Amino acid sequence: MLRVSNLQHANAVIKPLSKHTHTLLSLRDITKRYPSVVANDSINLDVHNGSIHAVLGENGAGKSTLMKLVYGMVEADSGTMHWDGELVQLKNSAAARKLGIGMVFQHFSLFETLSVVENISLTMPGSRTELAEKIKTIGERYQLVVNPNASVHALSVGERQRVEIIRCLMQDLKLLILDEPTSVLPPQHIQSLFDALRKLRDSGVAILFISHKLDEIRDLCDTATILRDGRVAGTVNPKETTTKELATLMIGREVPHIQSQRDTVQAANTVLRLNKLSAKNPDPFGTSLSDIDLHVKQHEIVGIAGVSGNGQQELSRIISGEWRPKTLSPDAIEMFGQRVSNMDPTQRRNLGFSFVPEERLGRGAVPPMSLNRNALLTAFSQGILNRGFIRKKKLSDFTDRCIADFDVRCGGNNAIASSLSGGNLQKYIIGRELMLKPNLLFVAQPTWGVDIGAATAIRQRLLDLRDQGIGVLIISEEIEELFEVTDRLYVINGGKLSPSLVTADVTPNDVGEYMIATHSTDSAQPEAHAHGV
Amino acid sequence: MKTMSKLLTAAALTGALISTTTQADTLDIGVLLPSPIADVGWSHALNEGINAVKEKYGDGVTVNVVENIQEGPDADRIMNKMVGDGNDFLLLGSFGYMNGGLKLAKRNPQKSFIHASGYKTAANFSPFTAKYYEGAYLMGMAAAELTKTKKLGVVSAFAIPELISTINGFTLGARSIDPEITVDVIWINSWFDPAKAQDSAKALLAGGADVLFSNAQDTPSVVTVGEEGGAYVFNLNSSMKEYAPTKYLGVVKTDWAPFFVASVDAHLAGNFEGQNQWLGMTDDVVVVEDWSDDISADMKAKIAAVQADIVSGARHVYDGPLVNQAGEEVIAAGTRLEDGAILGIDWHVEGVNSPLPK
Amino acid sequence: MVFKLVKREHASQWMLLVTPLLAVLLSIVVSSLLLVILGKPVLLTMHSFFIAPFENFYSITEVFLKFGPLLLIAQALAVGFRAKVWNIGAEGQMIIGAICASAVPVYFVDSTSGWMLPAMALLGAIGGMAWAGIAAFLKTRFNANEILVTLMLSAIALQLLYYLLLGPWKDPMGFNFPQTVMFQDEALFAPLFSGVRLNTSIFIPIAFTIAVWLLMEKHFAGFKLEVGGQAPDAATYAGFSAKKAVWVSLLLAGFAAGIAGMSEVAGPIGQLQRSVTSGYGYAGIIVAYLGALHPIGIVFAAFFLAVLQIGGDVALVSADLPISAVQVFQGLLLIFYLSVYTLVNYRLQPARTEKTASQGVSS
Repeated sequence: MLRVSNLQHANAVIKPLSKHTHTLLSLRDITKRYPSVVANDSINLDVHNGSIHAVLGENGAGKSTLMKLVYGMVEADSGTMHWDGELVQLKNSAAARKLGIGMVFQHFSLFETLSVVENISLTMPGSRTELAEKIKTIGERYQLVVNPNASVHALSVGERQRVEIIRCLMQDLKLLILDEPTSVLPPQHIQSLFDALRKLRDSGVAILFISHKLDEIRDLCDTATILRDGRVAGTVNPKETTTKELATLMIGREVPHIQSQRDTVQAANTVLRLNKLSAKNPDPFGTSLSDIDLHVKQHEIVGIAGVSGNGQQELSRIISGEWRPKTLSPDAIEMFGQRVSNMDPTQRRNLGFSFVPEERLGRGAVPPMSLNRNALLTAFSQGILNRGFIRKKKLSDFTDRCIADFDVRCGGNNAIASSLSGGNLQKYIIGRELMLKPNLLFVAQPTWGVDIGAATAIRQRLLDLRDQGIGVLIISEEIEELFEVTDRLYVINGGKLSPSLVTADVTPNDVGEYMIATHSTDSAQPEAHAHGV
Repeated sequence: MKTMSKLLTAAALTGALISTTTQADTLDIGVLLPSPIADVGWSHALNEGINAVKEKYGDGVTVNVVENIQEGPDADRIMNKMVGDGNDFLLLGSFGYMNGGLKLAKRNPQKSFIHASGYKTAANFSPFTAKYYEGAYLMGMAAAELTKTKKLGVVSAFAIPELISTINGFTLGARSIDPEITVDVIWINSWFDPAKAQDSAKALLAGGADVLFSNAQDTPSVVTVGEEGGAYVFNLNSSMKEYAPTKYLGVVKTDWAPFFVASVDAHLAGNFEGQNQWLGMTDDVVVVEDWSDDISADMKAKIAAVQADIVSGARHVYDGPLVNQAGEEVIAAGTRLEDGAILGIDWHVEGVNSPLPK
Repeated sequence: MVFKLVKREHASQWMLLVTPLLAVLLSIVVSSLLLVILGKPVLLTMHSFFIAPFENFYSITEVFLKFGPLLLIAQALAVGFRAKVWNIGAEGQMIIGAICASAVPVYFVDSTSGWMLPAMALLGAIGGMAWAGIAAFLKTRFNANEILVTLMLSAIALQLLYYLLLGPWKDPMGFNFPQTVMFQDEALFAPLFSGVRLNTSIFIPIAFTIAVWLLMEKHFAGFKLEVGGQAPDAATYAGFSAKKAVWVSLLLAGFAAGIAGMSEVAGPIGQLQRSVTSGYGYAGIIVAYLGALHPIGIVFAAFFLAVLQIGGDVALVSADLPISAVQVFQGLLLIFYLSVYTLVNYRLQPARTEKTASQGVSS
């Protein structure tokens, strides 16, 4: 904290003279309270032009709130914001944009049915041709190439991200805020994003880079401010700090290690098998699945990697039984040797299958209902019902056990699901599903939006389960995670599944190749662009 | 008539003088109406009758009108409340109030009830109906002179005897002048459905009718269609001439004042007697007026003569011979359809094209 | 200045209790002003609305006579609304219930069998369920919007009623008046006390309320319905059938509305006639929401609305209020109740606009 104030003092002196860098944005004692939590507590932050500044922290550390404050979407309860040395008060994001602040969110705000230039013309003045020309110029200057006339729905996630960044660059941009930009990208594309960002930095733009991926931050950023529980836990030079040190600053203690004592098991039974599964998606912008072959045995963890939107959603719904296309062949899905294509989720659950969906609120749990009621969702067959009437005691016993065994931090079994943090709710849902004693566990995005502590605990739990003999299937977009826990891997790409890969025998780059192989047009795009205009 | 009411007023006054200390010196009259009291139509006509009672008795009566009440359990409750609030004389203005009203009357034998359009009676419960057919007969004569297509059209509410007999009267009147005339009827099964009434009227015009009869429609809907479509038009209950200034044939008006006043008189005198009150031109209840100027003087004279005969009793609309739609003679020449048969009539006379809904 | 509603973290419990009183107070103030303008007696009107319904035994029984069908229909509709099944055609289901029940006394005019009433109840329930079932079928089979279907079916039900009354079912001795014969005593619920119209059918809504309370608060089936309404994806995930929820919601409403229709023709009306519903099918929607879709809240809401309607009828007669003024007063009460209720649960916050923002930027 002291160190930060000193910095500010020094900058105040040199600011007008420095021809390289000066303090562009300066936050002092920013506090933002929500009814139940102090999201930001006396935050100080200085961002210099021509630098990439990381803001890192676990989920709920206050990163998003802070960025929304800078972008004018949220007003601080107290504290000051200086821009180029002048006191400013941002009433909304339009005011922020006026100052030269741009932000790219995790969830893009593009209209799928419109073309790139049409999307940009929604917020920018000027004719389409002028704008298209500008898009091309910017693209060439920063290596953010995208075809202005391509329809957004045909673009890969990486390209969409470029469009969002270009949109920010269309005006006189001084500060670019990127919210977890790499979480949606395959490894190959991360480097090209970084190249573009470095070019931007060198042209004098300041970048606020929000992430919880420590290696990336060390690779890219010049300064890193670590948030913990709404406060600044430290400001460091990430290149001079080890990943471990960063992680310790972030979670306030040492990161636990994942341990695995894998015994080699032979003659394991197959618990899940997909046979040439094909399913046409009725949604024109959705992905159809074709010719998917997959199997999961006891005593193994199988992962499915891929860039989001390549059929993960569809595959998970078809395995869980939430989506049961009538055209599905009877033997397309087998669990424990039984054909289950026509079975609904309850029937599959009764066979020994459990599923943790990626959306915790609204799918894995009903947001306004208590943990007790949410336990009923899938655990109703666990002796909780008596002729359909709910046995209150049995139900709360079940919930209490789940809360205790899986270290769910909450206000008791009557706490509302939506009041739990992402990590705790995930622990609760996984706990609930494990209490059904499944022989096949399927988890989609096990650690999405989950803090490191909880993520480690969840991964450890998955390994333990495997060691107990349960077959586990994971869909994840985090390659590191898959490499950490899986025995075998598939890659999903454009609704098709790669051959089975033994995790120990491949590298993340190999997996990345499969992720973008035939389907993605990212590399082909420059040519298409040249022909198209 | 006038001397009689003076006498009765005097009697009522004397009564009031004798029982000075009781509240009974003013009579509370409750009136329940099915539709809003508008400038024209059914509820308007009833209200005019009640106004005559007020005029006659002045402070001697208090009238409590509740309008726009749908038939059903709520209407029953409101009647009940009226009785509970001390209304001793009730006017129930719709046939839908019949069963509820009758029950109430039986529970309250000291109170008197008059009920429009119904058919059930009790010692203190009189249904009342107008002999619209008398006026309609005269209208039919006028229509026969003015029609060129020899086709007349009727937009009618419900196929109840009151309205069937009116259509028959209209037909008989027209055919007494010109036996080639035929009448088409559209039943819309509503007292109050302007859209349907207008559509039906237009359909009749399209079918060639050039005189329209708005049979028990509470709105000027049919009348305006007549004016716009160039067809002569008449209606019941109250004059709608302002809605058809050039094509208004006339009105078969109901003037309930004489009957209402007489009923209140009877109640006050303690000799109210529940019976079917079936009132026509003789009783000054059915009044035909606002005649079109297009009717020839000759025809006007003929109409006046027939009217005089009906009032005097020398002539009756339902004098034989009467032939039904099937061509069968129902009443032979020299005989007359009995009142009871007219009150329950469920057949059309010859000349009405449309079959009666069964 | 534009405002937006922000949900309060903790709605004051105390305020929730005061809400109805505050609403009544506000509507009294506003309608008193209107009454003064109309030149109508203010005190007498208030007396009619709030005191007269309880003034004598007969009035109290009349309140309960209205309370019954309102309660019955609202409870069933609320179950559907909690499952996000928008059945707004209880009116039509009630008409069909009344029609089917009336078939018994219409075709067995002279029967004195003790089975008359049970047969009528059975037919009424089946009729209402069948009518609602059409909407359920179209919804689950063709994904037809149940709001439109139920609404249209109400119009059809009304025409069917008119047809029967004008044609095959009209009283042969009734001079073509559009109504059936008066039902024999065996086809009528017995009055609870002599001289009143309140009858034994009042026990049906009470029993139904207990059943709905058990279903929604204690039973797994109610839980499934509620999950389907609050988080359809969670219901799919858990394996609860969305189609089943549609069927259950609509059939339950059809059952309740059918019985309500039957209770009217076998109760205060005593025959089948053109107006049999007294608008209960639509009023039930208001009651369901007024009672916050909760079985116990609905009991109070139904009672409140019943008092309001009886009070309105009294005001028509005793305070000489036109029916439109009565409806305005009833409308005011509902609006004030809902506004106060909203403000207790939400707070108004000025929405930030471009205009105010640009003034705040100093650069």
